[in-house]
Order: sequence, then structure tokens, then C-alpha cells
Amino acid sequence: MTIATETKAKLPPSKHEFADVIHRLEAGGAMLPDTPENLMQIIGIYKAYAVPMDFYWRDLLYIAERVFLDPFPFFKYFIPKEYLELHNHYAGDDADLRIWRGEATAHPELLEFMEKGETLKMPKLLHHWLHDRVNMEFAEECMRAMLWHGKDMGWGQFDPYLDSEEYIANADKAIKAYFKYNPVMMALYKAFPDLFLEQCRQMSYYSNLGLFWEIMAPVFFEMSDIYDEGGFKGVPDAMNFLVNGIFAIAGRPIYHHVYIRGECYEIIPKSKGFMWLYEAALPYVEAVFYRTSPFRGTKSYNAQAKQVPDHQKDFHYGILYADVFPVGTAGIPPTLLMQDMLHFLPPYLVDYYHQHCRGEDDMLIQLGITFQRSMYCVTSAVIQALRTALLYPLDDPNPKHLQANRAFFEAQIDRFKRPEARLRNIQSHNYR
Amino acid sequence: MADIVDIAVSAGSFQTLVTAVKAAGLVDTLKSPGPFTVFAPTDDAFAKLPPGTIQTLVQNIPQLARILTFHVVSGKLMKADLAKLSSVISVEGSPIKIDCSDGFEVKNATVVAPDIEADNGVIHVIDTVILMG
Amino acid sequence: MLSALIWIPILGAALIGLWPAAIPASRARLAALVIASSLIVWTIVLLSQFDISNAGMQFSELVPWIDTLGLNYSLGVDGLSLPLMALTALLTWIAIYSTNESVERPRLYYSLILLVNAGVIGGFLAQNLLLFVLFYEVELIPFYLLIAIWGGTTRRGYAAMKFLIYTAVSGILILAAFLGLTWLSGSSTFDYEAIITAGLPLTTQLILLTLLLLGFGIKIPLVPLHTWLPDAYVEASPPVAILLGGVMAKLGTYGLVRFGLGLFPETWALVAPGLAILGAVSAVYGALTAIAQKDIKRMVAYSSIGHMGYVLLGAAAATQLSLVGAVAQMVAHGLILAILFHLVGVIETKVGTRELDILNGLMSPVRGLPLTSALLVLGGMASAGIPGMAGFIAEILVLQGSYAIFPIPTLICVVCTGLTAVYFVILLNRTCFGKLDNDTAYYPQVKFSEQVPALVLAATIFFLGIQPTWLVRWSETTTNAMVAAVQINVDRQLANEIFDGNQAGKSPPVFAAVKQKL
Repeated sequence: MTIATETKAKLPPSKHEFADVIHRLEAGGAMLPDTPENLMQIIGIYKAYAVPMDFYWRDLLYIAERVFLDPFPFFKYFIPKEYLELHNHYAGDDADLRIWRGEATAHPELLEFMEKGETLKMPKLLHHWLHDRVNMEFAEECMRAMLWHGKDMGWGQFDPYLDSEEYIANADKAIKAYFKYNPVMMALYKAFPDLFLEQCRQMSYYSNLGLFWEIMAPVFFEMSDIYDEGGFKGVPDAMNFLVNGIFAIAGRPIYHHVYIRGECYEIIPKSKGFMWLYEAALPYVEAVFYRTSPFRGTKSYNAQAKQVPDHQKDFHYGILYADVFPVGTAGIPPTLLMQDMLHFLPPYLVDYYHQHCRGEDDMLIQLGITFQRSMYCVTSAVIQALRTALLYPLDDPNPKHLQANRAFFEAQIDRFKRPEARLRNIQSHNYR
Repeated sequence: MADIVDIAVSAGSFQTLVTAVKAAGLVDTLKSPGPFTVFAPTDDAFAKLPPGTIQTLVQNIPQLARILTFHVVSGKLMKADLAKLSSVISVEGSPIKIDCSDGFEVKNATVVAPDIEADNGVIHVIDTVILMG
Repeated sequence: MLSALIWIPILGAALIGLWPAAIPASRARLAALVIASSLIVWTIVLLSQFDISNAGMQFSELVPWIDTLGLNYSLGVDGLSLPLMALTALLTWIAIYSTNESVERPRLYYSLILLVNAGVIGGFLAQNLLLFVLFYEVELIPFYLLIAIWGGTTRRGYAAMKFLIYTAVSGILILAAFLGLTWLSGSSTFDYEAIITAGLPLTTQLILLTLLLLGFGIKIPLVPLHTWLPDAYVEASPPVAILLGGVMAKLGTYGLVRFGLGLFPETWALVAPGLAILGAVSAVYGALTAIAQKDIKRMVAYSSIGHMGYVLLGAAAATQLSLVGAVAQMVAHGLILAILFHLVGVIETKVGTRELDILNGLMSPVRGLPLTSALLVLGGMASAGIPGMAGFIAEILVLQGSYAIFPIPTLICVVCTGLTAVYFVILLNRTCFGKLDNDTAYYPQVKFSEQVPALVLAATIFFLGIQPTWLVRWSETTTNAMVAAVQINVDRQLANEIFDGNQAGKSPPVFAAVKQKL
């Protein structure tokens, strides 16, 4: 508390529209108000998110490394045993840095669900067709958002590298090896090399996102375990865990390796020095939380009426702005993600949803809004982490530094001034 | 006079930095004629980083090297030279903001000991590890 | 057999209204439902026994009552009244079922509904003019009370009073016409069969018919006698609105055909062009006014005026096709209006508003009212006359049947079916589609039991749309006979006029009838 009073004593109150939020951030809090209800919700949803995420990252890596440019990737969502048993680098006994105390292979709840789904035990293909499965379509949508916004986000060196001579040469080697025994595709590659390169770039983003989520899954599992043990006292504690996590794994390499007939082709080698924080996490937050693209099938957009921004950087269709109420209507996200999380909700969250609104019947929306809250917490962690990395401590004695911190916070919160932003909504517990 | 590495080793308050430079295989580079300007974070500066940060970096040498090269600028730039600039480009490639208007600040770090001259450049001791972005 | 349809609800009303306070009031709903269900069963029995090849009255009952007045308890049913009777039985059940279970003063409420039902059914069955007027008046007070006690906002008293004054005047006009008719024609009783207008001078007939048209015109209502309708329909609670629009208004159109066309076959041709124009005006007025509304219930109310215009057009043209169409339209309109009022009621209860500018996105599958919205879309389509539903069958019959006689009013009505689509698109677009407002969209769920009335009605609308025989077969013989009567009379009149050396061209129905004969 001394920190807070000191800060307030040094700077006059903010005149920002969201002055309360700014002051909370300056006091080391999150954008999400610190209430036990919020803490319970966000931790519960992290757990429900982490289980499908454990599938997402494994499958993304499987697609990037093995399926690669398969022209008919019908079975790309069927993870082979090898990838289900792939050891997460941040969980298990042989972890590089043990974030989660659990096991390194696929989460048991995930395996159980893949076996039976919501219905009953039957062949994988039937589960797939019935959509009784983890929906990779959402993960791919996130990947495409990163690919699509990669150019103008200004974060990291990953996207510029995809256009470099070096990358093209690496990709060329891999593509030629991949289609070595396929003269048709080889001829097509000769005729339309850019087409294949672009697909390869997309594969690199598969890898990027897979490596990013490989870390987030154990982080969320660990948070859930800590909460179950009574570890977090409030939302700021949870956020600080995330901030520390971001630093701890910031240096994790981001790369793209492809395995063709037992041989490894390093399209993006680890030696490029690409880091989790700069090349994956920050672009991910920008592309997925803030921007993405309009959800298809839920609404018609009229570009002439300026319903679609002129510039890609002005897109704001991410979860922080999303209208969760139409969940259940057509279109890929966010319904499929909500559906994935629904299967793994901890019991306390199910009970909680039963007490509100339409109970069981609108659980998808209730958990969607909880998810939105939890992502405001993650975004707060990112903002605080950036502040820690690039600016000054919250208790810095120099008022100029505090002013710089405030300017940074205000600039970040400015992005939530637009009417669609849900920052205002999540301040109230009645938004559910 | 000694080179940059020798000075850092003998100073005793740069143990983490020296270990990191050795791990990243940058010793030879920093012993080369250069000249270089190095913003050298003290052990205390590294200690301020959240736990695990260094561990992960040490496990991943190219990434560690990238962070370290962000602290190096080619050319020998004394405080007086830097005061005329608003930013310099690091060896890593990203810019580093310089502010000499009120004390001597490099990005969000404060220089606690400027202008330690070496054979192949100059060291400015900073109190915070600076990061790209 | 027919008496049961009148006396069961009356006895039921008495039972529910008077039963001891010891029995919980909530039982009233159950009792009313049982009675309404028994009426439906009884109607089905009648339908199965009804001889569709017989144009005349069936299941007739006659009990002399007050001979000196010429008032007999004389009942009968034919192809004109049977479908309307069935409609009444169904809508009464729907109205009772769709009433909120926690309605205030349930015993009074349900007994009034049953009284209304008895009155309307009595009206359809009465074969004695005085008896008809009696039943016609019997349901006024219950309706007045239903609007005034259980109605909507502060304007319910005003709406109920306006309704009472208008419809009482309508009753008086009809009574006057019937009295004049009986006395002038020299009949000793008010029995329908006994009254023959053929001997009366044309002017007298015209005056009497005009009185009747005014009386029934208020009830239907026709523009410009309609001003009670929007207030009454909007202020009434949805179940009462269903009875008002679906059932009671049918007494007006029924009376128009039964007593206007039936008793004045000769004069009908004279007023028919005017009626056709009035029908077209009603259709245009209803549609245009509905487009301008901001309140969805009011929109539906105005759409009702528009749709009654088609009934009038069909009746005015009085061809075989158009008259069958008019009867079909009465039934279809009753069903469609009922489903729309019910759904609007559901929306108002759940969302708390009927304002077009506030409603939005109810189609949302999780947080909206998806099934209600889907049914509303269906109701809107039925009302706009989309093929496959009852409304289309009725409208196409009316329009096709009337075109030869009154081409311009018919074409105007065709345009109005398009306008119907316009305001339903507005209604559906604003209500069902678009985006739910996140600040307000925490609506309670619609329970399945609340959907039942709409589902039943939707199924009926679909069934009659796909299998229209079940809509028209009952009335075909009777209406054909009525058209023939018009034609015989007109032929005679034509002969007279030719005999008198007059021009014959004024009575268009003749040509239609002749054409159809050819």
C-alpha cells in the first residue's frame, strides 16, 4: 500500500477517461478489478483453456513439422501418438524450466476427452465429423491472424525474416525435399514458387504459435494448481505470476523445423536468435487479442460505410473488443473456442454459471465473458511486463519516471476508448 | 590499459555479465580491436530481473547473445559524444534511446559510472538490464 | 349437439366464477383448460359428422322461446359457420393456455374468457336474428372487463371504454336493421329461414343493408370505423388480443356474409363495388399505417385491419372462388393474428418492451429468444402470404376470385400483400436480426410451455397451407349455394330491369356468375 500512496502523492490524479484503471495499474494492479469473484473466474477459465491449448500446440507443431505442405491435409487434426507424448519443455521432470509441476505429456483430461468426446467412444473419424473434438479451426484462425497482421505490427524480426533471401533458400530446400517423389507438385512449384512459399510462411506461423502455446499451457495449469492450493490472494497476484512467467521464458527460441523422411530441415533455425517474447508473445497479443479479423458468418460488414477500417492496424475484432453475445451463431471464432473450453471447466465454475443468467443453457456466453475477463488480465500482465522491461519500477522515486510510466499506461488504455472495447464492461460484475 | 573484458572481470561487480558473455561466446568479439561502447549492467541489475529469465537465456545461446549485443554499440562513444545524440543503434539492430538532459540515462537505465575507458572501447555502467522494444 | 358448445362454457364460467374460495384459485386455469379442450373435442366430433355435400343448416335445434317476440332458440351450423366455430374453439384454448399462470383474479378472468367463447360461438350458431343479437351483445361486457382489468398501461380504461361504445353502437345498428327487416318483410318471427327480402323495395333494402354494413363494419372493423381497434388490441393482454382479433372480429365478417350477402342477395350487387373499394382502402390503410408504427403490437394490430380488407373484397365480389377465399381468409387471419399476438406477448414479457427501436438481435441462439424469433419469422411470412402457409391459400383464392369482378381493387390488394411483406421485413429485421445489446440482453428464457401455443398454431398454419382442402372443403358447398342465390336474384333483377327497359350493366356479379357457369 505504501507504493500506492507514494505514487499518488507524487503525481496528480490522471485525467484519463479510465483514470480508475490507470491508477490501479500504477498501484501494481490489473485492468480487471481485484475481486474474489474475478479471481475465481479467471483461474477457472485458464484451466479450461489450458487443456485444449495442450492439444492446440501439439497439433500446430505436428502440422508445421510433419504435415507441412501436404496438398490434401485431411488428417492434420489427428495428432499421432508421438506428438501427444512429446515432452513439453516447461513441464515434467525433464523440463528446461519447470513451470508446471505436472507431467510433460498430453494432459490426462485431454486424452480422456479425445477418447470419448461428449458422446461415446467411437473411431476418431466419427468424432471428427460430429465435431465432437477439440476444434483446431480456432487455433488456425489465431495463426492466420498473426500471419495476416505480421507485416505491420512492428514487433520482432520474425515476419521480416520470412521475406529474406535466407528464408527463401531454406524453404526451397525443404519444399524440394518434401515433394521429391511428387512430380506434379514439383512442377507446380516450378511454375508458381510464390504460392508454395506463402504456404511455407503460413507453416512457419503454425510453428510460431505452437511454440508460443507450448509455454502458455503449463503456465495456466500451474496457476490453476496454485489457486487450488489457496495460493493467490487476488487478481494482482495472478497477474504478477504471469509477468514473472513472461520474463522467465522470454528467451525461449522460436524456430521452424520440418521433418521430411527422418531428416530435419531448419527453415528457421534456432540460431537466428528469435525469442518467445519478441517474435511470438508480443505479436500474438497484438494480432489475436487486439486485431484479428471480423468473425465470419456473424455479421455482414459494409466497407463503404466504414464498418471495416481502412488500415489493417485499426482492426479491433480481438477478444478484448469481441461481442460475446452472438456466440452460437455461425462463424469460426469465438464459438469453437468456447465449445472447447466448455468440456474442461472446473466444477466450481460450472456451479457458478448455473447460478446466473440461463444457467446451463447460456454457459457458452458466460464462459466467453469470463474468458474475456481473463484475457484482460493477461493483457494487463503484458502491459506490466513491458513497463518492467522498458520503463521504470512503480515505486521509482523520480517523478519524471513515474510520468513516463503513466504516459505508457495511458497510451495502452487509449486503445480501449473505442466503443466496442469491453474494458468498461468488465469493471462491473453484472457483465456476464 | 586492459580490454573491455578484462576490465569487467577485474571489476568484480559484473560477474553475471561476464558469465553471460562467456556463455554466449562473445569474449573473443569483445577482446577484438573494436572499438565498442558497452552498456554494462551490474550484478544488481541482473538480479532485478524476474527469476528464471537468466536461466532460460543461458540455455539458449543465440537468444542470450541477442540480448547482450543489444548492450553493445560499435564505435567508442563517450558520455560527451552520446549527449549530442538522442538514440544509437545497437549491434543487435534495435535503437537505444539516450537521455542526457537530466543525469545520464540509457533507455530506462541510469548510468552509474560513465566513461570507463578500455583499449578497445568504453564502458558505461548501468543499473538496469536494457531490453529491446 | 350444438347447444353443448354454448352451454358447456357458460356452465364452466359459472362454476369457475362461483366456486368456493376454499379451492385454490390456480385450479381455475386447469378447469378452464379442461372445458376449452372438451370444446375442441366436441368440435372435432361435429367436423367428423358434418356432411360437406349439404349446403343447408345441419344439426339444427329449435326450441320456441318467446313466441310473441318471434325470438326462438334456433341453432344450426353450415359451411360458413363451421370453420369459424372450429377456429373459435382452438383460439379459446390457445388464449387460456397462453395466459400467465399468475394472472390476477384468475376465477373472474377465466370465467369471462369462457363467457366470451360462449357468446361468439352462439353468434355463429344462432339461426334467429334476435338470438344472434343477444349473443353478439353478450360478449361485449366480458371483453370490456378483460381489457379494462387485465389490460396494459394506463390507457386501458380509455381503450376499453372506446371499444365498448363502438361495439355497442354496432349492436344497436344491427338490432335496428334486423327489427326493420323483420317488420317490413312481414315475417312473424326473427328466424333466419323465414325472412325473405325479395319483396321489399330496393330503397328499403338498401337502407337496411347500409345499417347492417355499418354495424358489422364497426366490428370487423373497416376503415374509417376502425379507430377503436388499435387501442383495444394494443391495450389488451395478448390472450385477450388473440380473442379480440382472432375470434370476435370474425363475428363482423361472418355477419356481413351471413346477413348482408345472405339476406340481401338482390341489393348486394349495388353495394358490392363500394365494399370492394372499402376493402382495398382498408388493405392500403392497414399496410401503410403498419409500416409507420414503432410498436410491434400496434404494427400487428394495423396489419389486422389490412387483412380484413381481403375478406371484404372477397365477400363483395361474391364469386364461388372469392367467397370460399373470404371464409378461408377469416380462418387464416385468425390463426396468423393469434400466433403474432402470442409471440409479441412473449417478447414483451421477456424483453420488457415492444419498441421497434429498442428490440434487436432476438435471433441470437444462446442469449436471445431463438425459437420465438423463428416462429415470428414464420408468422410474418404467413401473414405476408408466402406460399406453403394458410395465408397464401386464402389470399390467392380471394384475389383470383375477385379479379374478374373488381380488377382495380383486387390489384390494389395485390400491392398490399407486397406492403405486408414490407412491414414484416421491418419488424423482423429490427426485432430478430442485428446485434443484441450487451447492456440489456439478459432476458429470461422462454419455457417450452410458453412456446406450445405458437407451435400448435404454426403447425396448423403449415398444415392448412400444404393441405388447403382442409381449409376450404367445409365451406365450399355453402358458399357456392350463396353465390347461386345471389345469381338467381340478380338474374331475376336483371330480367326485371331488362323488362323495365333499364340498362343491365350496373351489376357486375352477373357477368362473373355467367362466366363461371360457362
